[in-house]
Amino acid sequence: MILHARGLGKQVTSGERPLTILSALDLEVFPGETLAILGASGAGKSTLLGLLAGLDQPTSGELTLFGESLASLDEDGRAGLRAGRVGFVFQNFQLLPTLTALENVLLPLELAPLSNSEQRGRDWLTRVGLGERLGHLPKQLSGGEQQRVALARAFVTEPQLVFADEPTGNLDHATGGRIIDLLFALNREAGTTLVLVTHDYVLARRCDRCLQLEEGRLTPLVLDEVGA
Amino acid sequence: MNDAIGTAPAPVEARRGMGALALSLRGMRRDLRAADVRALFVALALAVAASTMIGFFLDRLERGLERQAGQMLGGDLVLEQARPFEDALRQTLREAGLILSEQVGMVSMASHEEAFQPASLKVIDENYPLYGEVHVDRGEGVERLARGPAPGEAWLAPRLAQLLDVELGDRVQVGQTHLVVTALVEREPDQSGGFANFNPRLMMHQADIEASGLVQPGSRIEFSLLAQGAPSAVDAVLPRLRELTADGVEVRDVRRDRPQLGNALSRAEQYLSLAGLAAVLLAGVAVAMATRRYVERHLDTAALLRCFGATQRQLTQLFALQLLWLALAASVVGALLGLVGQAGLLWLLTAFLPMELPPPGPLPLLLGVLTALAVLVGFAGPTLLRLKRVSALKVLRRELDPLPASAWLVVGVASLVFGGLLWLYSGDPQLAFGLLVGGLVMLVLLWGLGWLLLSLVLRLVARMPASGGGKRQALRLGARQLARRRSASLGQLLAFSVTFAAMAMIALVRGDLLSTWQDQLPEDTPNYFAINIQPGERDAFIDTLDDAVDERTTLYPMVRGRITAINDQVPREAVPADARGDGSLRRELNLTWRETLPVGNRLVAGQWFDRSPNLAEGRVPISIEDGLAERLGLGLGDAMTFTIGGEEIVGEITSLRDLDWDSFRPNFFVIFPPDVLEGFGHSYITAFHLDRERDDISRELVREFPGVSLLNVEAILGQVRELLTQVTRAVEFVLGFVLLAGISVLYAALTASRPTRAHESGLLRVFGAGDRLISRVQGAEFAILGFASGLMGALLAELAAAGIYLAWFDLAPRIHWGLWLTLPLGGALVIGLIGHTLSRSVRRQTPMESLGLLGEA
Repeated sequence: MILHARGLGKQVTSGERPLTILSALDLEVFPGETLAILGASGAGKSTLLGLLAGLDQPTSGELTLFGESLASLDEDGRAGLRAGRVGFVFQNFQLLPTLTALENVLLPLELAPLSNSEQRGRDWLTRVGLGERLGHLPKQLSGGEQQRVALARAFVTEPQLVFADEPTGNLDHATGGRIIDLLFALNREAGTTLVLVTHDYVLARRCDRCLQLEEGRLTPLVLDEVGA
Repeated sequence: MNDAIGTAPAPVEARRGMGALALSLRGMRRDLRAADVRALFVALALAVAASTMIGFFLDRLERGLERQAGQMLGGDLVLEQARPFEDALRQTLREAGLILSEQVGMVSMASHEEAFQPASLKVIDENYPLYGEVHVDRGEGVERLARGPAPGEAWLAPRLAQLLDVELGDRVQVGQTHLVVTALVEREPDQSGGFANFNPRLMMHQADIEASGLVQPGSRIEFSLLAQGAPSAVDAVLPRLRELTADGVEVRDVRRDRPQLGNALSRAEQYLSLAGLAAVLLAGVAVAMATRRYVERHLDTAALLRCFGATQRQLTQLFALQLLWLALAASVVGALLGLVGQAGLLWLLTAFLPMELPPPGPLPLLLGVLTALAVLVGFAGPTLLRLKRVSALKVLRRELDPLPASAWLVVGVASLVFGGLLWLYSGDPQLAFGLLVGGLVMLVLLWGLGWLLLSLVLRLVARMPASGGGKRQALRLGARQLARRRSASLGQLLAFSVTFAAMAMIALVRGDLLSTWQDQLPEDTPNYFAINIQPGERDAFIDTLDDAVDERTTLYPMVRGRITAINDQVPREAVPADARGDGSLRRELNLTWRETLPVGNRLVAGQWFDRSPNLAEGRVPISIEDGLAERLGLGLGDAMTFTIGGEEIVGEITSLRDLDWDSFRPNFFVIFPPDVLEGFGHSYITAFHLDRERDDISRELVREFPGVSLLNVEAILGQVRELLTQVTRAVEFVLGFVLLAGISVLYAALTASRPTRAHESGLLRVFGAGDRLISRVQGAEFAILGFASGLMGALLAELAAAGIYLAWFDLAPRIHWGLWLTLPLGGALVIGLIGHTLSRSVRRQTPMESLGLLGEA
């Protein structure tokens, strides 16, 4: 098991009364599987993703990532656990504007160095079809191209687990479709575990398994049954 | 952290540490594309450039001025005593690396045919002069020679030549030898001897002294040993010098006994280092502002890196190293700029500077880089720590920015570092602490005042009628934007106020210093001394003089007397060990009597004669110069015995006086009351100013009163004025750099606030505002900001200048009304114009671009 959550809960205090975003949530993710977490806007998808990736701390429950209990680690310890083993794809790409495409891709490698870093970066950009645009800055690239750079960046460290947060949320339908094709192709080739958070049923359908986040809890979902 | 590393493969862990340097270097290289990094680079480079430039300049000027002062003293170190110096001492001094020159001084009769005249003999050696040149006329006009007369030659003051009626080539008799007059001495480089000896100069070579037979046991001769060398060499012989002082040798060190201009010079130095500090403070403010923007822009990078697994320590390391690279690069560029700048400016100045400055030393460079690093740590440090605290979750939730560093923390750390620099530069921890605490109190006051001002602006705007022309609308919108963005505006307001205050203060202090100097030596400063006026010709002389000149000092009677006992003890045994060689104990003093306190004298202790207490039988009240009393360890009630013409008079000190030795007026160490000294042989002295073109009067005086000696001190006066002029130029030069540093603050602040302004103008444009209105709104906002900053800057400058005058310069504080007008108006104009110009590119952007700017850029 690559990720295991037991009784996970998150409460925040909004104004005077506490607000429960997630409550007593259980989840197991196995190596190599692709998992979609579906939910409407405001259902707490991003909060859950943040907890699963160790970017935030739960108010209750326990979470194990790569066999290590996150509760026993401080913020730095959790960061160290991610280094080189977790990749991210964000809705708003999160490319650094002063870095070229290649430099953006190389950024995670600077924290978890592998041999031939630069060559790997070039190779991955070539695989996402941007081999000719290594030196371009994000603002010189279209939205789809920027997300492709982000995909290359997510896979360049050969991570065990990739989190994707609404990866097509900022793209038009056609471009989004191409990005998703690419995401799944890369994931298959690398044999990576993929946890995808989205509100898009079509996208969720392409995963091995789907879970619905509703009122702070996860329930299994068979998409064919809802006729999506 | 350990857990984290424990989970990573071992080779990767090793490479992580190794890669930090390379990673930060690559990061910085990439970052140079960003505007704020460039602003930071410019601010840091300017800090280094300003501090090294001022440092280099000060260092060279200091050493140059010291050399010039050494020239007036005759050497870096001067020893004087009444008997010849021992070879062992010469050896000690030479071994320390000092170059020596010896002089013998005495009064002796010089004669030519039937004419006899007492002359002040100056016997020199081959090494004379150690500093400077002698201005002589050898028959072909005045020329400068770096030597004295050769053996067999005599150089005469023109007045002596006139009195003896000799011409170049004639022979004069000195003692038992004859010397050929080969030159007339117009000006000697070492003229600090004072006016104790009023006889005209005759300069001759050491080789002729034996033949003259003038050096006899018991003759009143002063032997001087002058030494030239590095301060370290002088320091090396200090212990030996202390022993000599206790043995009755008078020791003068150029660093402690600067002749004539002690006050002006030390004030100038204090001013220059103060200005240097002001430039550093301004650069610091610029760095603080640029860093704020740098950090805001890097929050995303930090969050992303955190997401990819960077620890807090790695983040801190990464950004600290990045800025360290930036600081080093800026230091190199800044130091080069500083070096080139000071060379260039000195080259410009050398046209005016007759003195030759030594080459730049390495110390200012080191100090400059150190200062830059200190400024970076102090002014950027707390703000940078914000990057470390960024949450990885920010990649998912953009609004999750860590709180900005508390303004008080930023100010506190910056103050501590700046206090340290103050200490380093001033060498006075008490002063540094005082300035720091005062500065912080001022800052709190300014913060409150700024807050009130912004509230007032908002309230005024609310009352403004909504209708009205475009200008009024622009003013309303601009003021509202400024007041609404309160915390950012307050930061800028404080930064600009401090900037304006620092600039104004440096300008204020400069003006006051210069006018004090000018007051010290006004146009009509006496340039002639008339001495040896006999009682019989006194009234006639006054009449003649008063017809010819507007201003003269009182005629002072003068009696020569020697101190022969202090409190009934031998003087040398009654005074502190280091005063045994004091000139006042070895020479005859000029004594005078007065009914009233002389002009320019100030009573610092005791009572003047009209109120002096009853004294023991046989004692008369006397008034002593404060400095002499301090040197000899004397106070009110002490008794001094003077031997005058074979008779003894016992005086009891009933008052101490402070007087200005640089005033070019007759000054006296000891003043008696009337009716004590009249019975002794006396003459009169006075000083007056004669315009250069009225030379005929001096000739007339010499003709009518042949016994009276006229001493022209124009040369000495000129030398002092020349030095003050040079120092003034230095002061103005440094002021220029402070202005430059001030402009860097404006630049950094405006660059830092550019994205916010771009966003605002983008929104205004979306809502339908035209180019003209946006331009006016921005102009109005900057102008209001500048006006308010100027107002607060004026207040700060007044208070700071008053404090500095009292603490540092010993000047009385005063209010500078002009400041309250020029700073607010000038501030509105300057900030308005610069801000408006720098925002031009923002106005050219489309709303899409402008609004996008607030995101990642």
